[in-house]
Amino acid sequence: MITVAVSGINAADNPGPGVGIIRSLKESSLNVRTIGLAYDAMEPGIYIDQFVDKSYIMPYPSGDVKSFIERLQYIHSIENLNVIVSTLDAELPVFMDIEPELARNGIYMLIPTKKMFALRNKGKLKELGESINVKTPKYISCTSYDDLVHATEEISFPCMIKGPFYEAFKAHNLAEAEGFFNKLAAKWGFPIIAQQFVKGQEYDVIGCGDGTGQNMGLFAIKKMTTTALGKVWNAVSIKNDLLLDACNRLLKHLSWRGGFEFEVLIEEQTGDIYLLEINPRFPAWVYMSAACGINLPERMVQFLMDMPYDTHSDYSSGKIMIRYTNEILKDISDFEKISAYGELENNQLEVS
Amino acid sequence: MQTERLKTLAISDSGFIFDPSSGDTFNTNDTGVHIINLLKQGKDFNELMDVFIDEYEVSEDELEADLLDYIQTLKNYHMI
Repeated sequence: MITVAVSGINAADNPGPGVGIIRSLKESSLNVRTIGLAYDAMEPGIYIDQFVDKSYIMPYPSGDVKSFIERLQYIHSIENLNVIVSTLDAELPVFMDIEPELARNGIYMLIPTKKMFALRNKGKLKELGESINVKTPKYISCTSYDDLVHATEEISFPCMIKGPFYEAFKAHNLAEAEGFFNKLAAKWGFPIIAQQFVKGQEYDVIGCGDGTGQNMGLFAIKKMTTTALGKVWNAVSIKNDLLLDACNRLLKHLSWRGGFEFEVLIEEQTGDIYLLEINPRFPAWVYMSAACGINLPERMVQFLMDMPYDTHSDYSSGKIMIRYTNEILKDISDFEKISAYGELENNQLEVS
Repeated sequence: MQTERLKTLAISDSGFIFDPSSGDTFNTNDTGVHIINLLKQGKDFNELMDVFIDEYEVSEDELEADLLDYIQTLKNYHMI
């Protein structure tokens, strides 16, 4: 039995990747006990008992790091964790700091180093794109109205006005840009990004790097529909060698370690690939890759546990993912357990 | 005519087309499927004209215009 703790089990309208990862593990060849690391008692993953065996409430990683580590130690003392899969950008810097200590305690993680994490930062995308011979749309970070005016003069209209974390709007003139700038700043804070508009379609490639430049399999999709926050809602699997080659160049360049999502746009007229973002983790739709035969969470756990793992990327194109909303009913006592005691057991571990 | 990309398309009998490299989907009618399949076999424009002039009651000028239109549509979608 391998015990894997996974964060990001907030399978809500802006879903974290945790439930998809746990589902992938539960449907894999592994005999796995899954532990959900939640930050709120209403994260739906806590209550999805067919996938999540037990959940614990965690202190926010942005708060006291000592409390965060102590909570992990407490969970480890009960669960004897083998692997932690971190899925939230805000957690990663903390986990990068404590990964050696966790490894000494027998808990393994496959996450990027601080250097890798910094190199894929939105502000360094241009340099990274040049290093792997992939274009990037021109963009300027803005922290004031003056910045916005200068940025839009330089980039010209139409342009995209993007929040620091989520949401993007197409602005056709300064008045529109100003409206989006104020709306995004009020909701998400600064910096706001003014970005060149490139007409085309958005694609994602996901994979897992082993830290030496090799991948454990790649899986590509075209985004068919996205939510208002730009999250994938429906997607179709594709096979595009140019995209996979670009992704492999990135992996080799960074010697990437861990899960990742390579977000690109292919320009309609030229077919050129534009790098939009690199997320240092699996995305919320990662289960699609597992369902298509590229079970990246399984491969990551096998790699960490020194087990044999597949590295092929043999999957069928033309498979579509349809995300939907659903309801589950639980007794109020479950909510009591997670909110009062900070933990909820869905499936008791059988002791033989 | 470059037909390499056309050869990678998945085309069903109903005229539903899926491009596995871009994820794009299209719909065409029976005649469109027939044209695409002939192009995939390597037929050139004149050979298409010969096939369709025999199959349809249509003047040569009208057929030429329609075929050119359809081929331009395939070009617009980067299929050829």
